[in-house]
Amino acid sequence: MRAIETHNRFTWQSRKRVLVARIGRWTSALAYAVALLAPGELAAQERDSIPTDVRVGILYQPAFRPGIVMPNVSAPEGLQELADSIRAIILRDLDYSDRVQVMPVGGGIPAEGPVNYDLWDELGAVWLLLGVLEGPADAPTLRLSLHDVVFRLLQDVEAFELPPLRHRDFRMAVHTGADRVIRWSTSSDGMAATRIAYVEKAPGGSEIYIVDSDGFGMRRVTSDSSIALSPTWSPSGERIAYMSYRDDDPAIFELEVNPGRARKLVDLPGLDLTPAYSPDGTRLAFGSTVEGRTEIFTFDLSKRCCPERTTYVRFANSLSPTFSPDGRRVAFNSDRLGQLHIFVQELGSNSAELLTPYIYDRSVHNAGPDWSPTGDRIAFHGWVAGVPQVFTVAPDGRGLRQLTQDGRNEDPSWAPDGRHIVFASTRDGQNGLWILDVVTGRIRRLVRGAASRLPDWSSRIDSASRFKEDSATGPKP
Amino acid sequence: MANRSRSNLAWLGTIALAVVLAGCGGSPPPVVEPEPEPEPQAQPRDDSAEREAEARRLREEEERRRREAERNRVMSVLAERVHFDFDRSDIRPDAEPVLQRKVTVLREYPGITLRVEGHCDERGSNEYNLALGQRRAEAVRRYLVSYGVDAARFATISYGEERPLVEASNENAWGQNRRAEFNVTNQGRLGGGL
Repeated sequence: MRAIETHNRFTWQSRKRVLVARIGRWTSALAYAVALLAPGELAAQERDSIPTDVRVGILYQPAFRPGIVMPNVSAPEGLQELADSIRAIILRDLDYSDRVQVMPVGGGIPAEGPVNYDLWDELGAVWLLLGVLEGPADAPTLRLSLHDVVFRLLQDVEAFELPPLRHRDFRMAVHTGADRVIRWSTSSDGMAATRIAYVEKAPGGSEIYIVDSDGFGMRRVTSDSSIALSPTWSPSGERIAYMSYRDDDPAIFELEVNPGRARKLVDLPGLDLTPAYSPDGTRLAFGSTVEGRTEIFTFDLSKRCCPERTTYVRFANSLSPTFSPDGRRVAFNSDRLGQLHIFVQELGSNSAELLTPYIYDRSVHNAGPDWSPTGDRIAFHGWVAGVPQVFTVAPDGRGLRQLTQDGRNEDPSWAPDGRHIVFASTRDGQNGLWILDVVTGRIRRLVRGAASRLPDWSSRIDSASRFKEDSATGPKP
Repeated sequence: MANRSRSNLAWLGTIALAVVLAGCGGSPPPVVEPEPEPEPQAQPRDDSAEREAEARRLREEEERRRREAERNRVMSVLAERVHFDFDRSDIRPDAEPVLQRKVTVLREYPGITLRVEGHCDERGSNEYNLALGQRRAEAVRRYLVSYGVDAARFATISYGEERPLVEASNENAWGQNRRAEFNVTNQGRLGGGL
């Protein structure tokens, strides 16, 4: 039951008042299921009486998603097409957030006049999102207003200055608006204005690619004609550190995403691999060769110097570090116990704690840890009968959960909302990068491609501020 | 008169040749000192120079072939891969004779330097395999150094699972892909110069 309680912490607050308002009208099954999940109120006999049509298991947690409707965005003559594409982007983002249920809007809804709450209430919507686009076309403004249909009031409203349609930050600016709507409606941050970096097969080996969280805007960002691996976003989302063989000797490079310049960041003797930025962006943790094995180091990014070793285990490898949100601890991968496991270590101390369960079995292989930005879980992949599957576990080693079971599922990375995970999968023979919502269990494919791997999800990308900087320094194509 | 003396000379030449051949016991040495024959007396110096050049050419050819053969032998000994067990970096018993042959060659040619490349099969995590490949390369280096080969003659690199030998997902392919490869970075005196 611990898993369900965890889930409840995410959504209970936002759900409660809606429940209070509407519980009388709800069909009994859903209300019953939701009421049952109230934290701390689970009596044993209630647990036993969960309706049989509600499946409670490792992969599935019932989650209430309030309905949201968004009629056509009203726009002046000539901007309707832009308004339609903005609406399409926002609706997809709302759907992909897995926090609200996007409901279809029937025809014949008057765009003008006062909000007809009765009409939307009749449809069963909890939220009404209205958008108004104003010109000029090269610098349009989108005003989004969110109405609470249940309480019949305006929840929030904000105007977003958008770049022109073909500007490279256009979609990201609209995603930022969608994230704001999620914030208003659920008091939690969304993850639409983000990108995912990953590795794709290319001539000479592999290159780094990036793609927006909705699957659009895919492009290659390195051209090393060599082996490029393990991309990781800087906290600002402006840079990507990655490992490359482009100078023959594997080193860590840092790439400026726009305009796309890479320079060598760390090159110690031997192999330098698996970089990770600290959440405040001041340090980089990475693995490097010491006497033939791999140990973890940190590097001062502000001084661009001073590699400092943090692990000291002879005859074993330590690699793939990932910082806790407070930057004080790292989780990492090590074979020091003769099996591959995930460990957690306080930086500056020399004692690591085993996070994953030790089992007397040769086939134990836990790898690729990623500490959730919300701090409460660490995702990794571990072998189940020789096939990697995605797991999460609390940083104290409790509450181990297996999230996947179809095909190979590897190298998970958390979205900034702490509930979506991107990973490489071969499920149903449909290889590529997939996104799983840990709360609802909903899953969607982000990138198609047998060789797409090692994804890393960025923080929220503040495109609006950068767009403004751009306009201040003159227009760019 | 002229005719008769020429035929006499021809006779003499034939006998001389027969004597030479008989002296060789049926296996002519590659270098045959030309008998001073009467007939080519007209331009004796030119012909011998030509033959000498030919002989030198043959000698050089022979030497070149010998060196080529030696070079091929050394290279094939050095290029021979060694394989590893799953998730292991220790030297297998069947890899030892392969590495011993390399030790012999490396002692014979002290100028040769090698880059040892560690590789893995596709099963482990991409990132862990980089570390594992490095340990494999290092294990091979340590073995060779333990037999007295200077450590400075080796560089190591890991390619993890990024450069498979066999692109397939079965035991046989995995077994072949878990390997160390050897790249000659300096051929020493095999490379033409001494």
